[in-house]
Amino acid sequence: MIDAKAIARDYDDGAKGRLTVLDGASLTVDDGEFVAIVGRSGSGKSTLLHVLGGLDTDYRGQVTVAGTRLDGLPDPALSRFRNETVGFVFQSFHLMSGVSALENVLLPARFSATPMGDLHARATAALARVGLTSHAARTPGQLSGGERQRVAIARALFSSPKLLLCDEPTGNLDAATADEVVALFKTLNAAGLTIVAVTHEDRLRSAATRVLTLSKGKLS
Amino acid sequence: MSGSLWPLVRLSLSRDRRSALSSAFGLAIGVASLVFFVSLGLGVGAIVRDKVFPVDTSLVEVVPAQLSFGLLGGGTLDEATVARLAALPGVERAFKKMNVRAPAVTIYRGDFFGRPLHMGLEILAVGVEADFVKQDVLLGEFVDSGPDKPIPAIASTRLLEIYNKSFAPQRALPQLSGQLLTGFVFPVDFNRSFVTSTPPSASAIPSQAQLVGVSDRGLLAGITIPLEAARRINTAANLDAKTFTGVALKATDPSQVPGIVAAVKTMGLRVDDQDRRMAENAGAAVAISTSSLALLSVLICLLAAFNIAHAFSASVRAREKELGVMRAVGASRSALFRLVLVEALVLGLFGGVLGTALALVGSVGLDVAAVRFLPEFPFKPETWFQRPLWLLAGGVGLGVLAAVAGAFLPARRASRTDPARVLAG
Repeated sequence: MIDAKAIARDYDDGAKGRLTVLDGASLTVDDGEFVAIVGRSGSGKSTLLHVLGGLDTDYRGQVTVAGTRLDGLPDPALSRFRNETVGFVFQSFHLMSGVSALENVLLPARFSATPMGDLHARATAALARVGLTSHAARTPGQLSGGERQRVAIARALFSSPKLLLCDEPTGNLDAATADEVVALFKTLNAAGLTIVAVTHEDRLRSAATRVLTLSKGKLS
Repeated sequence: MSGSLWPLVRLSLSRDRRSALSSAFGLAIGVASLVFFVSLGLGVGAIVRDKVFPVDTSLVEVVPAQLSFGLLGGGTLDEATVARLAALPGVERAFKKMNVRAPAVTIYRGDFFGRPLHMGLEILAVGVEADFVKQDVLLGEFVDSGPDKPIPAIASTRLLEIYNKSFAPQRALPQLSGQLLTGFVFPVDFNRSFVTSTPPSASAIPSQAQLVGVSDRGLLAGITIPLEAARRINTAANLDAKTFTGVALKATDPSQVPGIVAAVKTMGLRVDDQDRRMAENAGAAVAISTSSLALLSVLICLLAAFNIAHAFSASVRAREKELGVMRAVGASRSALFRLVLVEALVLGLFGGVLGTALALVGSVGLDVAAVRFLPEFPFKPETWFQRPLWLLAGGVGLGVLAAVAGAFLPARRASRTDPARVLAG
């Protein structure tokens, strides 16, 4: 599913010069794996996730995801890749405020290059997968933290992605809710979905089939 | 992209309804003032052009030069000169004109459309070829049938307007139309004057004139009669009945007029363009006033565009994370650019339609108020406005253009949203 070789990424750190976050990190993930990436804060976990998902393009190295070579891919093709191949789940949910859960789940359809059939049915099915069918009309403000994250997961699942990329998905949740979300990830993984999650949390680490540590810009 | 941006546009605008309405309203004010003032300018311009100074743009009025150049020619308009004028390039037809050179008065005592009238007037008369006014003749043929028959006469449209709006109300006389006047017969004594002495040998030439229509081409302070009648009266009064006092040259096209004017001047003749110049001056005054107000309106639209730029900049900044998520779920840079521009387009369309509607309502309201509250005066129009379709479409288009222009930079900023940066943490 993922074949990333020698990824290097640095940032302009003002007066301090360049700050190297990824320094030749390489990673291979097979189809159906559930990989947890751990590491200290600022170690570059989120950066690595953004590179793998085609959100960050300012890196060196070679990244192939689901057969698509991402480095050097032009924006329209990269956008299509994000729309069809990967789903993102963020720590802060990033739902559109004042908009129903259903409309949030439908967001990828607004930018889809290919017909997706009955969008409403598809979004309802995605909500059903996360157990929120009855909450379709609610806005994020009317949902609990766990429910918001599940809406975000439903949004990520809407396009039937091959890969789910999760950035501290339980970081903003209480323990019980985090357990529910982790259980949901396990279910999705058991159904064949490849998951890569960066996390600090033991519960997510223990749910993964493989754990990698990012340190000094390299994975081990 | 097969996905529709409309739901996102609708959601975005409805979430920030107050700001959207404020931006659209600012645009509407600019568009409304522009459409209103341009509509007013067009309307007043048309009144000036068509009613106050009705100038045929393809007509050149040639008169004899004030100074004769002897061997070089010029000075008089005889048949030979008229023939040369008619042969000028770009001239379709030459219409001869001859003033009745004898003075003339009308003394009317009798019924005037239901009112007793006792009036004596010194009048002028000019003879013209029938074809020059035939389109305005409502009764019979415009020909002179001899001294025993009434002379067909055309009155000036402008004179009738001044009579109806100024003279008649003050003297409690009836309002008249061209059709009502047609057939009216009144006495005219040529070779007689209230204001100048006539030679003792000159005997009055009693005649009758019958109005057969009104025309923009009619003499303003007098009557327009057939050329043969003018020639006959001048002959009877022992005055010049051979040379003409003017020739109206009909150009094949208004674009030929400058060339004709130049050719006429090289012949030692003069072009009487007083009416044209007055029309042009009045038209220019209207155009300048309208342009000033239109410029002010465009400035308002510009301000509205800046307001939209500011509002959209703030909106794009506030929606940074949302735009980042859109990028994450598959929005391309161009999709985000289009998204913001379509939002602006909807606002602009709304502002443009609202502004144009406001301008229409305002102009109709002003027309109604003018009819109701303004006193009657010559050339008072039924409407002060012209509302051509292009102006209404232009108003809507300006609203859209201003909004899209204002949102251009914010849209570009939205398209450059770096999802990795805004979604980090």
